[in-house]
Amino acid sequence: MIFLRRQMPLLITLITGLVFAGQYYVPHPASEQMLTSVTKWLQIIGGFALILGVSSLFHVHAVKIRRKEAGWGYSLVLYASMVATIVVGLWANGKEAVDGTMTAFGWMYNYMMVPLQGTMFAILAFFIASAAYRSFRARSREAAVLLVAAIIVMMGRVPLGEYLIPLSGDVSQWILNVLNASVRRAILIGVSLGTVALSFKIIFGVERSYLGGGKE
Amino acid sequence: MTFSERMLKIDRRIIFLVIGLCTLLPLLYPVGLPIKISPEVRAVYDHIESLPEGAVFLLSLDFDPASKPELQPQSIALLRHAFRKHLRVIGMTLWVSGTGLADQIMTQVAKEARKESGNDYVFLGWSPGGTAVIINMGQDLYGAFPADYNGKPTKGQPVLSGVTNLRDVTYAVSLGAGNPGVEAWYVFGKDKYKFELGGGCTGVMAPGLYPLLRSGQINGLIGGLRGAAEYESLIGQKGKAVAGMDAQSATHLAIIVLVVMCNLFYLSLRKTARQQGQMGA
Amino acid sequence: MPEIRRHSGAVVVGVLLCCCGLSGLSSSVSAQQPLAPPQDFRVLDTPSDGGGSLTLIWPPAPYDSKDVRYQVLLSDGTNTPDPSTFKVVTEFPSDSKYVRESKWPWWSRPAGPEQHQYTLKNGKGVELKDGAAYLVALAVVSGDRRAFTSAIQATPAPNWMNWNQINNLFLALLFGAIVFYAISVAKKRDIFLRRIPGLDAVDEAIGRSTELGKPILYLTGAHDMSDPSTIAAAVILGRVAKRAAGYETDLLVPHRDPITMAVCQEITKQAYLEAGKPDLFKDDANFFITTDQFSYTAAVDGIMLRKKPAANFFMGAYFAESLLLTETGASTGAIQIAGTDSDHQLPFFVTTCDYTLIGEELYAASAYLSREPIQVGTLRGQDIGKALILGVLAVGTVLATAGAVLDTQWPQLFLDVFKDVK
Repeated sequence: MIFLRRQMPLLITLITGLVFAGQYYVPHPASEQMLTSVTKWLQIIGGFALILGVSSLFHVHAVKIRRKEAGWGYSLVLYASMVATIVVGLWANGKEAVDGTMTAFGWMYNYMMVPLQGTMFAILAFFIASAAYRSFRARSREAAVLLVAAIIVMMGRVPLGEYLIPLSGDVSQWILNVLNASVRRAILIGVSLGTVALSFKIIFGVERSYLGGGKE
Repeated sequence: MTFSERMLKIDRRIIFLVIGLCTLLPLLYPVGLPIKISPEVRAVYDHIESLPEGAVFLLSLDFDPASKPELQPQSIALLRHAFRKHLRVIGMTLWVSGTGLADQIMTQVAKEARKESGNDYVFLGWSPGGTAVIINMGQDLYGAFPADYNGKPTKGQPVLSGVTNLRDVTYAVSLGAGNPGVEAWYVFGKDKYKFELGGGCTGVMAPGLYPLLRSGQINGLIGGLRGAAEYESLIGQKGKAVAGMDAQSATHLAIIVLVVMCNLFYLSLRKTARQQGQMGA
Repeated sequence: MPEIRRHSGAVVVGVLLCCCGLSGLSSSVSAQQPLAPPQDFRVLDTPSDGGGSLTLIWPPAPYDSKDVRYQVLLSDGTNTPDPSTFKVVTEFPSDSKYVRESKWPWWSRPAGPEQHQYTLKNGKGVELKDGAAYLVALAVVSGDRRAFTSAIQATPAPNWMNWNQINNLFLALLFGAIVFYAISVAKKRDIFLRRIPGLDAVDEAIGRSTELGKPILYLTGAHDMSDPSTIAAAVILGRVAKRAAGYETDLLVPHRDPITMAVCQEITKQAYLEAGKPDLFKDDANFFITTDQFSYTAAVDGIMLRKKPAANFFMGAYFAESLLLTETGASTGAIQIAGTDSDHQLPFFVTTCDYTLIGEELYAASAYLSREPIQVGTLRGQDIGKALILGVLAVGTVLATAGAVLDTQWPQLFLDVFKDVK
């Protein structure tokens, strides 16, 4: 059992990691074919992972409802919504519209999911304003520089700002193209090195936390 | 509590109300200020403008309904331009929750341009796997999408004639709201299969994609609602993005005024505290 | 005497006329000289590719100019080797298509930069099958004159190694070796890590929660356990859980990924054991909500508003939900500490949280807390990698500038090593 939970996943990771790291340097069609086959497997596994996610949700909330834990009413609402969406989706064959006519699934998508997701994202606009009012203070020289740069970019990115201060557009472009791009590049280099280092550790079995379980 | 202290601790619902009014009023009473076109948006426009009739244009609508306000106007403007240039349009998405929205956008714009599915455009829909889909399309498009979103087999469709994989795509644009998005299309798509790539994204993500733009990994970038408004101005068909720019202008100005006010109150408080400190000493 | 002058004048005119005539004759003769086709014309299978391609190489000629054109001629191996019967595949001015314009790095270039080069690829009117022999020739065209090289036979074939990317492989292996060496050094001795400012605040935040009798909320981010930021978040959770156990403060850890939840459950259990309070450990301290971005955000916001935790920890990778989470947390008056490598969300964390660990400070924090040789060694290896990149940037900038100012090619020898070529 330990072999199946520990050694075998490590062996699979080592072999596939080395093979596909090497595949990057091999232009031969056989190598491209191997990559295509494996990405098809990944797509199939990705499909199954969706099922895993849904079944986890079902299980967790079923336990909450059965034990009548705090907030079990919300779990009941979630259950009802999930079952309703699945039933309606299967009935409409996953289509939002058939021959121009909206299906029930399409109705749920357009009048429930789209407004709900849009609402959550729209709240950001209000939160940005209140966060800016609360925290954009020139507490130090660096904070003052940040404040001035933020104001210039905010002005330069809208027509009203460019109308009032014509130079703000060009200055904000320069800030984005030069200052911002160079800093993003630096962070990207650091994070990419971290990802490469982690990949090496995972391939060679040095890092095993992704397998779950406690330390050995 | 002094006036400055009261203002610094103001109920955030008042700020929400100010922002709400600044968004709503310009939508009801638009002003229509001119929009300056940025080089990165013009680059996407010019590239599509240079494509010959019948060139293959891939548009990947990698966003969900949450990013609809920013990325839907971008998609509509790009599709209008592509249909006007009589390009062969391949639409798809890597985000499952955005499939319905992507289908609606393509159908709506195609109907407007009197384009026929199968002959002038095809919507492939969604396939699981994220970046694996891009790699699969790079090898064999028909293997990745044996049928389009309407269930019609992709092989044999006139719009896909001569297209076997991503190497046969003339220009691809990914409108991404996260991951997978523009970066995934570059790393697993353009880098391997050598097609030209442009990008579109939400306003928040745009600064993070400038390194890709500056290094030539993407040839242009449409950033946020502003980018969509610029593109609408370029194609001469103003839509929701241009309409939204007045609201965005008012909101930005409101935030700037609020931030300046808060700093004035803060500095006045600091000055008072310093004076009191000196007097106490 | 006048007769001599008349005669000498006539002779001069005559000589002049003869000279003009002769020069006209010589130019017309040179205009009629045949065009010499390029010598040393070579055709080879394109190196380091997947097949279906042939590369033509030939030296520059004195007549290379816009007015003279080259034509590439192709035939399958079964035809007679008479280039005039071959199909014209492409035509271009003779002052174009040089090796120096191609992307080949210096170690895999098939010829010098001053040579002409053209790559015939399969597709768009040209069919080249691997393993099949083809005859290729070159024609020089000037006005109505045309000259052919002899036909050369070549066979396209796929290659097993892309030598253009050997620099990439070398740099990847070098970096890997540096990381493993640093890990081995970390196993033998202590490596210094500077103190991370946000870490002092962790104890302060936990202490505040205990005083107020309110729970601690800890989030591990949007990604799964294969992401370095989630691994770092899980390590820091161990430290936070140990302190929370010691102070007997409630801990709430809602998750977006079931596997991350399972791993964090084990980490929390272990932490409570190490703190000597195994009986206080609750199974449901770590719970799974949903994988969907905004559904998870709405659920966590609800937890914040109902349970009003005194300390919120946002560790890991985040997307648009970051501000929704932190602003709601700020409205409840909680102390907030964030750590993320998602650079696009950093502005939101910095403005709304009391302390923010930026980018690799998150990885450093987990290494600092755990003191595991693997974590510490990896961090040191990354630092060495970054130092190398900085050095290369500095040297490369100087060399590239020198190359541009002095108009020389030798700096390219260094710059090509760090170029990414497919």
